[in-house]
Amino acid sequence: MDRGFLDVIRNSRKRNVLTTLSGVNLKVKEGEVLGLLGPNGAGKSTLIKILCTLILPTFGEAYVNGYNVVKEGQQARSSIGFITTDERSFYWRLSGRENLQFFATLHNMPPSQVKARVEELLDVVHLKNRADEPFLNYSAGMKQRMAIARGLLNDPKVLFMDEPTRSLDPGAAKSLRDFIKDHIVTERGKTVLISTHQLDEAEQLCDTIAILDEGRIKVQGSPGELKKSLSESSTLGEVFSFYTGKSFEEENASQVPFAIPRQRKRGRGFGNMKRKGY
Amino acid sequence: MAFEKALWFIKRGYLLQMSYKFDFFLRMFFMLFNILTYYFIAKMMGDAAAKYLEPYGGDYFSFVLIGMAFSGYLMISLRSFSESVRDEQMMGTLEAMMVTPTSTSSIIALSSLWSFIFASFRVFLYLVIGIFLGVDMTHANVLGALIILILTIICFSSIGILSASFIMVFKRGDPINMLLMGSSELFGGVLFPIEVFPGWLQNISHILPITYSVSGMRHAILQGYTLGSLAPDILTLALFSIILLPLSLFVFDRSVLKVKAEGGLVQY
Repeated sequence: MDRGFLDVIRNSRKRNVLTTLSGVNLKVKEGEVLGLLGPNGAGKSTLIKILCTLILPTFGEAYVNGYNVVKEGQQARSSIGFITTDERSFYWRLSGRENLQFFATLHNMPPSQVKARVEELLDVVHLKNRADEPFLNYSAGMKQRMAIARGLLNDPKVLFMDEPTRSLDPGAAKSLRDFIKDHIVTERGKTVLISTHQLDEAEQLCDTIAILDEGRIKVQGSPGELKKSLSESSTLGEVFSFYTGKSFEEENASQVPFAIPRQRKRGRGFGNMKRKGY
Repeated sequence: MAFEKALWFIKRGYLLQMSYKFDFFLRMFFMLFNILTYYFIAKMMGDAAAKYLEPYGGDYFSFVLIGMAFSGYLMISLRSFSESVRDEQMMGTLEAMMVTPTSTSSIIALSSLWSFIFASFRVFLYLVIGIFLGVDMTHANVLGALIILILTIICFSSIGILSASFIMVFKRGDPINMLLMGSSELFGGVLFPIEVFPGWLQNISHILPITYSVSGMRHAILQGYTLGSLAPDILTLALFSIILLPLSLFVFDRSVLKVKAEGGLVQY
């Protein structure tokens, strides 16, 4: 069976009792960056947590790097990295270096490799000079870079990022996006699934965008394809509104420090488009 | 790899504990207060309770010191697993650990390791202070005491894992912890011999593992009982362990599956 690096296959009409996921079929190829866009409560985080084996799906199958996330959870976890926005996910009273060493050991890394790997990643995320300071002294941007370093500890083939720039100011967010693009995607060729509330982030980083709403993938395609599917001059925000029936700006206003100005453009022949039934 | 992981969990526990130095010294200080309180109670009692204390060597301070020291393991076992689940949930670190290849049960067991080491350090201090205050341990059967200690930890930890399973699923209101914590202090022979109770109340004492743990420890440390003489306590603790350990691991596995299916693993 031809599998992508990441497959989520629906095989039941039942809905997942947990939240809303019921109509999710996704396939992501090696080295591809897939962005998940969706309103609050659409199921983006749930989908990521299912793929990270943190939540068991009540039906359907999901494969990460060829491993079934339920039956081969340990192998699946060995091949993934999870980058969360939750800065509480570190031990604040330990140093950055100690935190990375601790999590490296949980990845079954022998002590001889731990030191070298941690030093290498501290260098990659430009935190070598601050590595011995307690984590609590770090800025939001530094904490997020630490999260990326932790996500890369086991040199995973697939990386999951749940709103990685959510708590960052615009400058730090841009810097992080550049880092993801240059170091993780271009240089290391990782397969990435990223959930985001930022349209510019999705456009900049993703080869493919999937719009998720009420547990279903409403549409999937490259940013260019999605925009063209409405009209030549459509924006991604308009695509989002078309498929979810919600304004991206309204959905997003409570999520980001700087809301995107409303630029609603109506009467662009949305009626001609057929919603894609995934 | 398990050894390296254990070392890192211990190091993590130590570093976190030492980052709250005042708390550490305060605990040590009040432990000394506790010991001295019972020392003077024993002095006041003199030989008044000799009839009940005869099977344990006749001295109340020695009796209560061993009871307090080793009942600490029960408290730690009952609390540490469930507290480590809850602490990691509240700190937000549980999810980050759960996406590693290390199994959930290993994470919970290793997270409690530092608590057991800290409890052992407290037991050691109890015994050292006890020696300075005149407790005679010159006849101690060290091997017998070690066997009882290991069985005590296995047995109490099993109850602790059951307790953690409740916490994982129901988040609060763990009946095992509440029931055993209260009943063990009263009926387990920690502060006074169970022989004080009328016969029907002693039946409650006989179904509690702590009764055999502190009784065996007293006989091994204070009176130097041989392994043969310690056999009733050792075999009873072994029986508790054989029943409770697999049961607790089974219940814990089912609890993890349940909360993973409900998405409640990191909720508290």
